[in-house]
Amino acid sequence: MAGVSPENLLRRPLTAQKCSLGCPLLDRCLGGGVPCNSVTELVAESGSGKTQLCLQLSLSAQLPPSRGGLSASSLFLHSEFPFPLRRLEQLCLAFCGLHSIGEFNPLDNVFVRAAHSADQLLDEMPQIESFLSEPKSRFPVRVIVIDSIAALFRSEFDNTPFDLKRRSSLFFKISGKLKSLAKRFDLAVVVTNQVVDFMGENGGMNGLRIGNLKYLYSSGRRVCPALGLAWANCVNSRLFLSRNEEVVAEENSSVNVGNGDTLRRQTRRRLYVLFAPHLPESSTEFVIRREGVFGVDR
Amino acid sequence: MEVGRLPISASHRAKLISAGYTTLSSLSSLSPSYLARELNITDSEALEILKVASLNSRLDRTDGGQAIVNGAQTAWDMLHEEQLLPRITTSCADLDNILGGGINCKEVTEIGGVPGIGKTQLGIQLAVNVQIPVDLGGMGGKAVYIDTEGSFMVERALQIAEASVLDMSEYNDLLHKENRACQMKLKPNDILESIYYFRICSYTEQMAVINYLDKFISEHKDVKLVIIDSVTFHFRQDFEDLALRTRLLGGMALKLMNLAKTYNLAVVIFNQVTTKYMDGSFQLALALGDSWSHSCTNRVILYWNGDERYAYIDKSPSLRSASAPFSVTTKGIRNSASNYKRIRMM
Repeated sequence: MAGVSPENLLRRPLTAQKCSLGCPLLDRCLGGGVPCNSVTELVAESGSGKTQLCLQLSLSAQLPPSRGGLSASSLFLHSEFPFPLRRLEQLCLAFCGLHSIGEFNPLDNVFVRAAHSADQLLDEMPQIESFLSEPKSRFPVRVIVIDSIAALFRSEFDNTPFDLKRRSSLFFKISGKLKSLAKRFDLAVVVTNQVVDFMGENGGMNGLRIGNLKYLYSSGRRVCPALGLAWANCVNSRLFLSRNEEVVAEENSSVNVGNGDTLRRQTRRRLYVLFAPHLPESSTEFVIRREGVFGVDR
Repeated sequence: MEVGRLPISASHRAKLISAGYTTLSSLSSLSPSYLARELNITDSEALEILKVASLNSRLDRTDGGQAIVNGAQTAWDMLHEEQLLPRITTSCADLDNILGGGINCKEVTEIGGVPGIGKTQLGIQLAVNVQIPVDLGGMGGKAVYIDTEGSFMVERALQIAEASVLDMSEYNDLLHKENRACQMKLKPNDILESIYYFRICSYTEQMAVINYLDKFISEHKDVKLVIIDSVTFHFRQDFEDLALRTRLLGGMALKLMNLAKTYNLAVVIFNQVTTKYMDGSFQLALALGDSWSHSCTNRVILYWNGDERYAYIDKSPSLRSASAPFSVTTKGIRNSASNYKRIRMM
């Protein structure tokens, strides 16, 4: 019977295969990239670069393993509309300029599908499973992105004990399904999540510390990952992207638009590891350019 | 001296007595292999001794002497035995202290905490530490790791194993200062090979593996630790029939308890935390409800206190409530960096 004999840990690769994010500095912060056979969550407010990172990931997954990729195509499930096709094209152009990938169009290896609600996603899981077992392109599918998981749960649920219970059991169902797919096909699963503002100590358990940072700040406000404690139990690793506006002196070179003569406003972005079974606490600063998302050494 | 009367060879009798087995009851609940290791004799010889002893104790009973039911123990013997039982160190002295020396064998210990507090890290550390050889004060056992969440990372286990081997060989050199020939034989890869890893993707699989453990461990007697990380995950999906869930969990807890007793091993179960609506406000509680909370012998809760990780003994029949800081480092679980903080007994 499958499943009831132990695995010999030496028979697996001693380091889990990772999928590059498309930037060596970001990869270094994550120990090589997004791990396969694992669910990684990206938490951030809107406009922080979650989607951009996911798009970039689905491109760099196509690189051969020698260059940090998985030689794989990806499935991009989006619940936020519209799908940023223009931006993907733009990133793809930069990607093709950076890597000589040969005779194929990277866009052909990114499969996009809309997801409207959590129930619908769960119902479609068998279809997704059969899609994974019969690859439609030259590459097997090894990356699944869900952008965003929070949007799937945004509208349908009331703040009643019954609905909250139904919601959290859906979390565990979806995550259980994703993890079993991740194991069966050795997938890197990335889900994005939104944040909610911290409403003070009487806001329930939202202020509960989860992970390496005591408080999360983005755009000068204290925030908490959406979907609460129950969902936090459903992912293997959690990353946080923050953005903060900063006023800097003129001589500091900056990618953002200037504001006035002597002062510039600059958005400083950071990627933090909140928790991950294989990573220590770490963070790195990054910028978003036309060509993609890149870490900066500072 | 009861053992003195046994019709066994003089050398065996001397070995028994010098190892502290002077009464028939002290022999009554031993396994042949355990006795063989204790006395450094072959298994068949040990079996012969136990047969003779049990025959004699039965004769005693018919005489109306101090009869004992086979396998029963007096509390005095149990206390004695418990003090001799080795414990699995957590690699954090403060944590070991409040646990009474480490994770106890023959017991089920439940450890709960929020995501990212270090449950899996502690699990990996214990799976490595159970393998510390006997001559270094460890148990020299193997571990079964049941991973229901997919958070076990081989690279992390290797990192912890490497650090542990370094620490052990340092300690080994201290122990055998005059004898340079005593080299550490344990390698990080051996440690990984001695972790029997099960990856579980549904609650039915989880039940199946736990039912299978009895057979598995009877074939692998050197397993001294069973870890389930976490017991909760697949039981928090939609269970329409909550009574079924309670029954399944109860049956599982009972099986684990039996395993711990029968094979003299430690069972460590990880649990998640959830919010519970009590007295008009939300509070944190371990998942799986009230009936589950009776299932484990010990309960340890991991939590954040400021910027430090703490462990708190929530329930234990023998330990007093106490909390201690610990930290998760590259090498694994270690003492908290701020050493000035003393353990707080409550």
